[in-house]
Order: sequence, then structure tokens, then C-alpha cells
Amino acid sequence: MNNHKATGIRRTNPTNGWTVWLGIVPFILFGLAFEFLPLLTIIRSSVTDGGAFTLEFFKQALDPIFLRAFRNSINLSATTAILGVVFGTLVAYAIITTKNKFLKNVMIALSDVTTNFGGAPLAFAFIVILGSTGIITLLLAEIGIKLYPDFRIYSISGLGIAYLYFQVPLMILLIIPSLLGLRKEWREAAMNLGATSTQYWLRVALPILFPSLLSSFLLLFANSFGAYATAWTLTGSDVDLITIRIAALIRGEVQLKPQLADALAIYSLIIMTSCVIGYLWLSSRSRRVRA
Amino acid sequence: MKTTSLWRPIVIILFLLFMIIPLIATFMFSISIRWDRTLWPEGFTLDWWKAVTSRPLFLFTLKNSFTISIATMICLLLLVTPTTYWMRLKVPKAKPIVELITSFSFGVPGVILALSLIRFYAKLPWLPVINHPAILVAACMVLSLPFMYRPLINALDAIDFKVLTEAAQSLGAGGLTILTRVIVPNIMPGIINGCLLVFSTVFSEFTLTNLLLGTRMKTFPIYLVEYTRQDGRQASALAVISFLVAWITSLLIIWVTSKGGKETTHIVGR
Repeated sequence: MNNHKATGIRRTNPTNGWTVWLGIVPFILFGLAFEFLPLLTIIRSSVTDGGAFTLEFFKQALDPIFLRAFRNSINLSATTAILGVVFGTLVAYAIITTKNKFLKNVMIALSDVTTNFGGAPLAFAFIVILGSTGIITLLLAEIGIKLYPDFRIYSISGLGIAYLYFQVPLMILLIIPSLLGLRKEWREAAMNLGATSTQYWLRVALPILFPSLLSSFLLLFANSFGAYATAWTLTGSDVDLITIRIAALIRGEVQLKPQLADALAIYSLIIMTSCVIGYLWLSSRSRRVRA
Repeated sequence: MKTTSLWRPIVIILFLLFMIIPLIATFMFSISIRWDRTLWPEGFTLDWWKAVTSRPLFLFTLKNSFTISIATMICLLLLVTPTTYWMRLKVPKAKPIVELITSFSFGVPGVILALSLIRFYAKLPWLPVINHPAILVAACMVLSLPFMYRPLINALDAIDFKVLTEAAQSLGAGGLTILTRVIVPNIMPGIINGCLLVFSTVFSEFTLTNLLLGTRMKTFPIYLVEYTRQDGRQASALAVISFLVAWITSLLIIWVTSKGGKETTHIVGR
């Protein structure tokens, strides 16, 4: 709301006209050269074969072997996003309601740092604790729980656990502002009207939080859908994810028409961008409600 | 009352355990003689650390990662600082375009960015950037653009850059002088914050490096991944170093932000 006022009233240097745009030309050129023209290339190439327009590659990209990769990626992203939302919200609520200020700051700083973790070191850390001779594996075996061979860290469920390592902290950081927006008076009002704590959460707090929870879910989903480094280190090409498939096509490990990789990329891009746009739209809405 | 106060410590302790155990375990593993048969390491040693740090490739890959990170940081500073300032001052209408370019990497994962760059520059044979470190720096710039832009624009909004500019102009300063002598010193916390965020993102970058350069330029994360397949204990020492770099830069960021106001920036997307 403030934005409208600021840009509407103040007009800066009206004398300069279009020439002021020259100042941002280098930046726009950068965007064209390394973002949009390359992207356009794969969009165009995905629908052309020998100079003629075709949707053949989009059809081929829906072959069962690729569909399985898409399904795995979507399942993994949805599962880690849902678990991330649930655990993240729970921990975030514990953080903001704790009275110990030091603990509060430590927890937020920890989330800040760990949400940036990923890739090889993270994957390796999980091999150390949950690999076939990992520490937690040994510990659980000691008390009679045999993880292997039913569970493997090098599998898709193992990968899910590793992803939670950055999904949960991300959720904590995303949801804390919304949780702080829940006013004490609302809870008191509900209690005064005779609501139990459960009723307050189900009927008042969660409906208010719903847009933020949904938008965070979408961002967590996209965060996991586009991830590659952790999966590659942990499982190599064992786990069939769409990013692993596209990467294998880039490296030329699999000889197929290049346009096929482009079509797979476009499908992934559609999934990713709709999540990010949904996130931006929902979070701008919930910000307006809060203001 | 008792039930409501009990869940909180349980949740917090479980969370802390989940976040800390992988780090501590990796560190302990790197100094253990053997830790794959018993609950407690069969003795401690610094042999794996000595072995891994004495290899020439160790310093070489560290240096490569530093070079790429610093190059990305400098290029982004030169590109983003003048653009952001100019946009804020003269062309507020350009904001949506600038933000579309900065947020590109949120919607486009590394794998697809690499694919599109390879496809596009393969069509321009007169510009031999494929397999050249320059293309990696450009890709890393795209990846970490939002982390430079966000703190910069927040810092710029926090100062009265219009008044500062007009004051400097009335004293006869030119555009470049205003930017480097007036604006930049005033937004220093934002610049440092942005540089650190870019550094930690690029230093741990694996996807783009692997797909754009293959084995032509070994960076630290590439070296680490190769090692995880050869020698676990030496790889764990390398992993500990990566964690340390990430922790140190992150703590520096938290320190800088807590000194320069309350805005927080966190990395989203991988």
C-alpha cells in the first residue's frame, strides 16, 4: 500500500526522458545474455526438428521412463515440503514462545545457517550417520532396530531425510513472521468464549495461517524439485529424479536427441515457475492482510 | 499446565539433535581411526587430515573455489551497485524488469540454467565461452544475483540517497564520484552482507561447475564429491572444511546484519 503512494506522488527528474534508461542497459544486457536468450534457445529448440515446428519432443518427454522420474521428483518434493511445513511450523512456534532469549537467537541463527547447507558435504554427513555402517545405524542396531536392508540412505527415502535438513530451517524462517502476526488477543478472545486450545488452533489460528503455510509449501516444493547436488552426491544416478535425468543428458551419458532434454527442462520449468509464482502471489496477499 | 510446557523442550531438543548430530558425527568420523563397527570410535588420529591437506589438489581446488567466488563477487558488485542506485534515483519504473532479472534463479534450477547456457553458446562459435571458466562465473552471477541485490537495495532504502546525491551534486561532484565516495560508504553494511552471501553460495556451488566445466576445472565441492567415492575418512575432513566455511561466512553475515539494522536476508533455493 505504501508503494503506491511513494511512486505516485514523487516523480523524479522528469526532464531526462527515456535517456535515463541507458543507465540500466548493461544490466538488461546481462539478463538477456545469460538468462533470457539461453532460455529462449531451449524453448525454441524443444519445438523444432530440422527447421520445422513439432510437438514430438514434448510427447517423447512423457514416455513412461521420464514420467517415472517426474513422479519421483514430485513425490520427493511434496513429501519433504509437507514434512518441512509441519516440523518447521512446530519448531518455529516453540522458538517464538520460548522465554529464553539466548536460546531463541541461537535457534534462529542455526536455521539461518543450515538452510543454506546442501550438496556434497550434507550428503556425506548423512552417509556418516545413516549409511550401512553409520553411527545412528549402529546405535539403532544395538537397541534391536535393524535399518538395513529395508532402508538405505542412498535411496529416495534416505534422500528425503537429507533434504529435511535444509527444508525444516527454511520453513522456520518463512513462517516465523506469520506466527508473530498471531495476536495474543485472538487467543484470549477464543478462550474467553470457551474454546479449548485445540479448537483455537483448528478454528482460528490455522485458518489465519493457511495462506502462509500454503505459500511456504510451494517454495519448499520448488526448493526440493530443483535440487541436484545433494541427490547426485548421495545416490549418483541410482535415484531416478528429473534433474538427474536432465544432467545425464547434458553430460552426454545418454545419447538422445538434444531437444528431448530441452522438452524435459521446459516441463520442469513449468512446475517450478508455477510454484514460485504461487508463492509470490500468496505471500504478497498474506503480507497485505497482516499490514 | 504441565503438558503445555513439556512439548516445547522436546521439540527444541529433537530439532537441535537433528541439526547438530550430522555435523558432529562428520567431524568425529574425520578424526577416528575406525568408526564403522563399534558405537564409539576405535581411537583418534589426525592422519586423515594430514593426508588430505598434504595433497597438492587440496590447495589447488581451494584456490579455484576462492578465485571463482571472488571473481563472481567483484563482477556482481560492479554490475549491481550502479544499476540499483541508478534505478532507485532515476528510473523507478525499471524495478519490475530489474527484479525479474535478479529473481531468475529462484524459478530456474541450476541444471536448467546450465543446459540453456550450453545450448545458447554452442550456437555462437565466434564466442568460445563453453568450457571456459568465464561461463561459470556468469552462471554463478545469475545464481547469486538476488543475494547481492537484496541487501544492496535494503541498504539503499535505509539511507536518504536522494538528499545525499543532491548535496554532492551541489558541491560539484560528478556521477562516478557520488557513487564511489558518497553512496558506497553509506551502504557498506549492505555491500559486505551481499558479498558474504555471494561468497558462501558460490564457494559451495557444485551443479553449475559440474555441468558447465565437467572435470576441466576442479573446485573444492567437485573434489569433495570425487573423494566421497574413494575414501570416506578423508572425504569427511573435506566436508568439515566446507561446513566450517559455510558457518564462518554465515556467522559473519549475522554479525554484520545485527550491526547494521534489523533487515535479514536468507538464501532461498538451491
